[in-house]
Parts: sequence; C-alpha cells; structure tokens
Amino acid sequence: MHELFRWSSKWWLGAIVLVVFWAFATWTSTEPVESDLAARANAAIRDALLDKKRVAVAGRDVSFSAEAFSPDGRRSALAAVEGVPGVRLVNDGTRLVPEAKPFVWSAERDVVRVTLSGSAPLPQVRGRLIAAAKASLGNVEVADQMGLARGAPPRFDAAALLMLDQIGKLKDGKITISDDKVSLSGMARELGGREAIAASLKNLPEGFSVAANDIKAPPYVFQAYKDPVASTLTLTGNVPDKAVHAALVASAGRRFFGEKVVDNLKESIGAPANFAAVVVPALGALSRLSTGTLVVTDREVKLSGDALYDAAAAQIRAGLGRDFPQGWQYKAEIAVKPPSGPVDNSVCQQLFADLLTKARIRFESGKADLSPDSLGLLDRLTETALRCPTANIEIAGHTDADGDAAQNQALSQRRAQAVADYLVRGGLPANRFTAVGYGSSQPIAGNDTEEGKAQNRRIDFVVK
Amino acid sequence: MIMVHVAQFFWGWLLASLLLGFAMGWISVVQRGEGVAGAWGRALWALVVVLVALALSRAVPGRPGYWLDLGLVMFGLYLAGCTVGAYLRAWVVARSTPPA
Repeated sequence: MHELFRWSSKWWLGAIVLVVFWAFATWTSTEPVESDLAARANAAIRDALLDKKRVAVAGRDVSFSAEAFSPDGRRSALAAVEGVPGVRLVNDGTRLVPEAKPFVWSAERDVVRVTLSGSAPLPQVRGRLIAAAKASLGNVEVADQMGLARGAPPRFDAAALLMLDQIGKLKDGKITISDDKVSLSGMARELGGREAIAASLKNLPEGFSVAANDIKAPPYVFQAYKDPVASTLTLTGNVPDKAVHAALVASAGRRFFGEKVVDNLKESIGAPANFAAVVVPALGALSRLSTGTLVVTDREVKLSGDALYDAAAAQIRAGLGRDFPQGWQYKAEIAVKPPSGPVDNSVCQQLFADLLTKARIRFESGKADLSPDSLGLLDRLTETALRCPTANIEIAGHTDADGDAAQNQALSQRRAQAVADYLVRGGLPANRFTAVGYGSSQPIAGNDTEEGKAQNRRIDFVVK
Repeated sequence: MIMVHVAQFFWGWLLASLLLGFAMGWISVVQRGEGVAGAWGRALWALVVVLVALALSRAVPGRPGYWLDLGLVMFGLYLAGCTVGAYLRAWVVARSTPPA
C-alpha cells in the first residue's frame, strides 16, 4: 500500500495530458450530447397533452417549460423528462394552463370571415373546432383567436361543434357559449334558417341551456311587377306553401287578363301571418295600374305605379290596405298615366270589343255585384270611354237561358247598370250611358253546353 | 452511472484516459523522480475531493456541470489505469529480479 502512495505521487504528471484530453473531449462532445438529450426529451413528451412545450438542454441539464391541462398531466410530463437516460437535472418551468371562469367561447360571423375566439379546453379540441368551422363554411375564411384554458364544462366539444353547424346558417351574427349557457344573435342566411337553428338547439348536449336566441329571419319578400311593354306580370320572391302559391297564380291569371304571368316564386317558410289575405287584394290593386310594382316585405306593402285615370288613382290609394289585417303597413305611390289621345266612335267601339274578347266582366254568382277580379278590365273600359267623349254607349247585359226569363232580364239589367255606375264613378257623365238588360234573348252561343252558357253571360258595349 | 447513456459521444476519450493512466502507472514504478508529494499532493487530492463533492451534489449547473462530470470520469479511469499499470509493472519487475 505504501508503494501505491509512492507511485501515485508521480501520476500527477500524466494529469497534465489528461487535462488536454478533457479539453478535447468537452469540445467535441458537448453539443452532440445536448442535441441527443433534447431529441430524447422531446420524444418522451411527444404524446403528452401540453401546450407551449419548450425543451432546452445545457450540458446534461434540461430546462423544460410547458403548460399542462391538469396537475396529473403536469407531473407525468415532468417525470417523463426526468426519466430520460443521461439527464442530470430538470429545471421545471411547467405550469398549469390558466383556468377560465366563466369559460367563454364564441364564433362570430361577418361577411368575409368567421372568427373563433375565447377559450378552448385542449389543443386537439381547438384543432377540431377550426376544422369543423372550415367544413361547415366552405370558402369562408376562418380566423382563429382562441386561447387555451381549463374549466370547460363537460361535453363542451359537442356543444361547440353543434354551434359551428349553426354558424353556417347565419348571414352574420355571433354564437357564444359561456359555461353551460348558449346565446345566439344575428341574421339567418335564408328563410327558414332561424327555425332550423331553433330546432337544432334542442340537440344541445345535456347540461347546456339556451340563455338567449336572438336570431332574426331575413325579410320575407314578395314582388310583382307589371310590365305593359312586354305584357307580363312577373312574380318573384317567396310564398308560404303550395296552396297559397297556386291560389296567387290563379288569382293573378284572372285579374291580369292581358298579361302573361311569369311565375318565379319560391315556397319558403317564415311568411308573416295573413300573407295571402294581404297579397291577393294588393295584386288586385296592381291589376288596375297601367304599369306598377308591388313589393311586400315582411308586413309592409308598397304599391307604386301609374293608374289609368284620376279617379282610379284615388280609389286605389283609398282602397289599398282597407281590408288588411292588423299589424300590416302599407304605402301607395300612385301617379296617373298621361291620358291617351281621343279617338273617333268607330275606333272606340273596336277598342271596347277588343277588351271584351280578352276578358269578360264578372259578377258574384246570381248577383249584380262586380267581381274584384274584373276591376282591371273595368278600368280599361273606363279609360277607353274617356277617349271618346262624344260617344253615347249602350251597356248591354246578357244572361244564359237557365232559369226564369223575367228574372234573367232583371239580372242582366242590374248588371249592366252596375257597370254603368262604375264608369260614372270613374268620372264619366251618366247621361252618356244607357244600361239595357236583354236577358237571354240575344245568345251568341248555344245554351246547351256550359261553355256556351258562359259565353252568353256577358256585358257588351255598343257605341251609338 | 447516468453518464453511460451518453458515453457514445466521448468513449474514445475515456479509453484514451484509461490507456494514459496505464502508461503513467507503468512508468511510475521505475521512475526515479520526486513526483508531487507533501503539501502539494495533499492540496491536489483535496481539490479532487471538493470537485467530486460538487459533482455529487450537482451544484454546478449546465455545461460546466457536464464538463465537471466528464472530467471526473476521465480522471477516475485515469487513476484506475494508473493503478493497474503500476501493479502490473511491479509484478513484472518482481518476477524478473532473481530472489536475493
């Protein structure tokens, strides 16, 4: 043993060379060791549920910082890094993700983008929400301003995904989940969107409830445009259902006898109450105009255009909206078409005949009350009568051969008189008109068919 | 020793330390010089003890800590090499010298 001490006193000389070796060893190995440890530390926490992971290695010491989503997750991530072979010390820079109280998440849609903001519970959930937003919105840009926080209510993901489905149905608006309360505001993209969203809210996961649903429906618009040049009546916009659609088109067909009805209507839900009860008479008013537009927006009716003569303009202004149900607004902007030039009596007769071949003046069945369907025709007859100021006109009423001859004669007389009264109300002097009832004495078709009878029930204008 | 897991990056130097130690040990048996003894020797051993204590307590952070560990491991192997070399030489010398 004594010898060993003696020998060892001489070993210090070699230590000088050893120091040189050591210098080389540190110079060549430090960086490879560090990068190897960093790689293995990163691999150890690759699957850990962490945000803002950062691993820095100096020598064999690892500085590890990250945000964990639970105390357990934090402990196990730290243990994983400490367990990496070769690591000497771990400088613990980990912390828990802050807890959000209340836990608020929102999706806001405007014209060009959807902005997701607030808190998401986990990075994967955040990714899933962004992906879902992109899937539900197609080409709309998705801006992510979400942070991560603890404290999400149970089944948050399902609720948020359901809300992202709804954001696709909005034109603009905002959906917010605050803890377990959902609030929605904005404007639905399409008619029926508001109802669809309300229905979807029933599928909210257990524990969630709707705090406020202020989604508005887009305006319910119906339009009719009477174009005298193209001789068309164009219907566009929405109608509530098939039945109303058919009724409107049929009514338009009866009232606009000289125009082709172009039907571009779309059946959509969300119509205001009493839609048909308003639109049918409003179309009647439009039928009396030379040219005009009817726009029904939600509960607001706007009729604009040119009446055929002054009295008609006044009647339309006064009549529109008279029978509208409560809650409806209306506005009539009626001007009067410049009067056409006078014509001589033979032309006048021809014009009457032309009008009355296109359509017949209708009455309530068995009565002498003018049908509202015929007001457009009556206005045109009045306008024509105004153009021949010197003509005396016989208004001749005819019936079919059904029933008692005396009654038929009386009915045809009263009907002819009703037409004459209408013309007088239009501003024509009463003494120019003679109302005559011929009953069934002057048939123009056989009375053995329904069609023939219909042709025989007529009012003729005869210029004297 | 945890260092083993990263030894792939410097095993050559460890081997070199061991061989250097073996060579110094081999020489030290027959070398006639003074060596480092007495107060200097004690001071050096004390330094080694302090460094070992620092390494075990992990008091030196980061890269210097790694360098200290590496240096001590190399020194340890060097000493092991010295010891083996010295005893081996002593054995060889004793065999070749005829008994008096």
